[in-house]
Amino acid sequence: MSDSTLLVGPFNRVEGDLEIRLEVSGGAVRAAYANSPLFRGFEPILQGKAPMDALTITPRICGICSISQSAAAALALAEAAGVRPAPQGALIAAVLHAVENVCDHITHFNLFFGADFARPAYAGRPWHDRAVARFTAMEGSAMRACVEARAQVLHIVGLLGGKWPHTLAIQPGGVTRAPTARDRIRMGSTLTAFRRYLEAEIFGAPVEAFAALSSAQAVRDWSTGDAGLFMEIAADLDLATAGPGPGRYMSFGAYPTDDGRVFGPGLWVDGGLAPLDPGLIREDLSHAWMLGEDAHPEAGQTVPDEMMRAPGYSWCKAPRLGGRTVETGAFARQVVDGHAAALELARDGGGVLARIAGRLLEIARTQILMEQWVAAIRPEARFMDQVTLPENGIGAGLVEAARGSLGHWLRIEDGRIANYQIIAPTTWNFSPRDAQGTPGPVEQALVGAAVSAGEETPLSVQHIVRSFDPCMVCTVH
Amino acid sequence: MSEPVPEIETFYDVMRRQGITRRSFMKYCSLTASALGLGPAFVPQIAHAMETKPRTPVIWVHGLECTCCSESFIRSAHPLAKDVVLSMISLDYDDTLMAAAGHAAEAAMMDTIEKYKGQYILAVEGNPPLNEDGMFCITGGKPFVEKLKLAASDAKAVISWGACASYGCVQAAKPNPTQATPVHKVITDKPIIKVPGCPPIAEVMTGVITYMLTFDRLPELDRQGRPAMFYGQRIHDKCYRRPHFDAGQFVEEWDDDGARKGFCLYKMGCKGPTTYNACSTVRWNEGVSFPIQSGHGCIGCSEDGFWDHGTFYDRVTDLTQFGVEANADQIGVAAAGVVGAGVAAHAAISALKSAQSKTQTKPTQSKEEA
Repeated sequence: MSDSTLLVGPFNRVEGDLEIRLEVSGGAVRAAYANSPLFRGFEPILQGKAPMDALTITPRICGICSISQSAAAALALAEAAGVRPAPQGALIAAVLHAVENVCDHITHFNLFFGADFARPAYAGRPWHDRAVARFTAMEGSAMRACVEARAQVLHIVGLLGGKWPHTLAIQPGGVTRAPTARDRIRMGSTLTAFRRYLEAEIFGAPVEAFAALSSAQAVRDWSTGDAGLFMEIAADLDLATAGPGPGRYMSFGAYPTDDGRVFGPGLWVDGGLAPLDPGLIREDLSHAWMLGEDAHPEAGQTVPDEMMRAPGYSWCKAPRLGGRTVETGAFARQVVDGHAAALELARDGGGVLARIAGRLLEIARTQILMEQWVAAIRPEARFMDQVTLPENGIGAGLVEAARGSLGHWLRIEDGRIANYQIIAPTTWNFSPRDAQGTPGPVEQALVGAAVSAGEETPLSVQHIVRSFDPCMVCTVH
Repeated sequence: MSEPVPEIETFYDVMRRQGITRRSFMKYCSLTASALGLGPAFVPQIAHAMETKPRTPVIWVHGLECTCCSESFIRSAHPLAKDVVLSMISLDYDDTLMAAAGHAAEAAMMDTIEKYKGQYILAVEGNPPLNEDGMFCITGGKPFVEKLKLAASDAKAVISWGACASYGCVQAAKPNPTQATPVHKVITDKPIIKVPGCPPIAEVMTGVITYMLTFDRLPELDRQGRPAMFYGQRIHDKCYRRPHFDAGQFVEEWDDDGARKGFCLYKMGCKGPTTYNACSTVRWNEGVSFPIQSGHGCIGCSEDGFWDHGTFYDRVTDLTQFGVEANADQIGVAAAGVVGAGVAAHAAISALKSAQSKTQTKPTQSKEEA
């Protein structure tokens, strides 16, 4: 196949807009350029507002991970005020956040990712009929079951947060809702129903069995439920070797409670775990349509280059940790937390299968955690402490959204927001090139992807891109 | 409103094809009737309409937005409602959920426009940013505003989902960096139904669309263009904490004794007294709760300009206490005036800004400015 350039987009079944330019030769992708074509300007909008308004404004960056944004804003404000949320408030915030993260994972698996295997291009494969029955966009039986299960489990968010999306309950000092003993029972039964859904549809076995898998081989050999169907497809299409990332995984650590972060923070690099220093984060602007210089987000600026000049090709800045790209997401979180199967999958090179497996492991583990947290709710405890924000101060709110590490950096001056910078998970994963010309994680993962003659939107590219579960509205915001 | 198009199947055909039982179908019809505030007598009428009418094609497009409206929509009350509505409108083109990708997806939209010229409903989530010729939201290589105008040109009616499409929402907050502009400022020659809220309540969304599909006409709208059946009363009017307001019992600080007792959140900045929406009656997440029930005041997300009305925790100051009622139309007229002035000011500012940007160089100069 001769050299050519493909423009893939608009990319649907991802959250928001995405366009990818591919340089193709010899039947494979040689270079990829990810463009986030949507910019709204939340960071300049936040400047000059009352600090507490961040709790209402930032969730509206994204309708699918709004609780993550609100949790990050609340933590940043709490840090600026020098307080920690009331322990039971932090527990409720963890429940709210975990429900959203799990919902995002099952939505991705069923609605966004699985649908590609129902394509006619795969007709004749031994698994194709089953994939069509389960995953066909808007009609497959798995999609229906997922949408219903999701609506049910989001009752917990309804109960604790009043509404979803754009829940308001999480505050720097805790949460606005003090649950009653009756609420606790109701949430327990909702979680039991959700466990039934997970075990009947996704795992075809107890969640504990999947969570306890201890080797990469055991994950790949899983044969029941839609997880099993996926592993069968992945083996046939060799998704284990497709789309390897930079091989460096980052997690801020998920669910801050009184006993620390439940999924631990850190960095997996050069085959081993290392502590994470968020002070090493810089946002590179060389290939973004942004004016200004590289900076740590505490001092960062968001000034769009309205002329959209080259070499910029995306509204997305390029965050780097110590000058290097890192991958973030559910798989990264499980690797950094030291899950045995995830660590093995990372050593095997990551890739599409590993990212999906990471999400499945996290779904199983989070179900168990949510049940424990709900059982630990003490209705008589305090759920919110009073917080007085300083007239001047700084704070960082580092959390783990479904798609990976989310950070808010806030500076308050004279009682107003002087600066607010946000780095979302997909900003890391879908960043453009940096000043050294190093491509972002997805740009690198796409190199080598197979392109058949005549393919305008190569299937391999779609699998790889969607395996990251990009959330483009968060990416640029 | 229009002649039936014979080649399109009926709603009921579509539902049957989706494997929905007669019993579930009838349950859905009665649920819909009650959601719309219609009596049981309307159930057979709705059922009859759905059995005999060709389904209405829908094109659903996304501009500058966060997808929260879609997220809300696919979580409607009756476990069946989402199935029925999804199959009923069939979302001939929807860029978040559809199967096709890339250019095939764009072609699907053109096909739908051609095939159902003048017959389809255009549902818009998000809004077009007009600054810099629309360059802040590009889909398929073109500014979203062009796609919007194209899709609207042959639509029978337009639904503006959510605060973004209806009013602008937080992305239009000062200084509105992208000049995010509500749909009705761009599309001026089509009937537009605004369904504001951030997001709108799922049952309100399905209720509005079911009404339009069933009765083949627009629901009754208030002066702001919102369906009166869902936006006719203030949150405050039907709030379960209203007796505490009347009794002067208020939450004074988070998680205090009053909060535990469910006292009124007015002093915590609740905007319920000035917000027209159905949250306190229909509630959220399948009727489970709504923000005030979770102990947080209403932020007024279905009202125009809610994002720029001071902080969300400020007390409503222009509230006329006790006994004096204002209706949405009167308040709406006042708000519309303010918005008009705001848009003119933004236009002037952005013209000025784009003149300035021509002289900026990349990347160092702006750093000095900052």
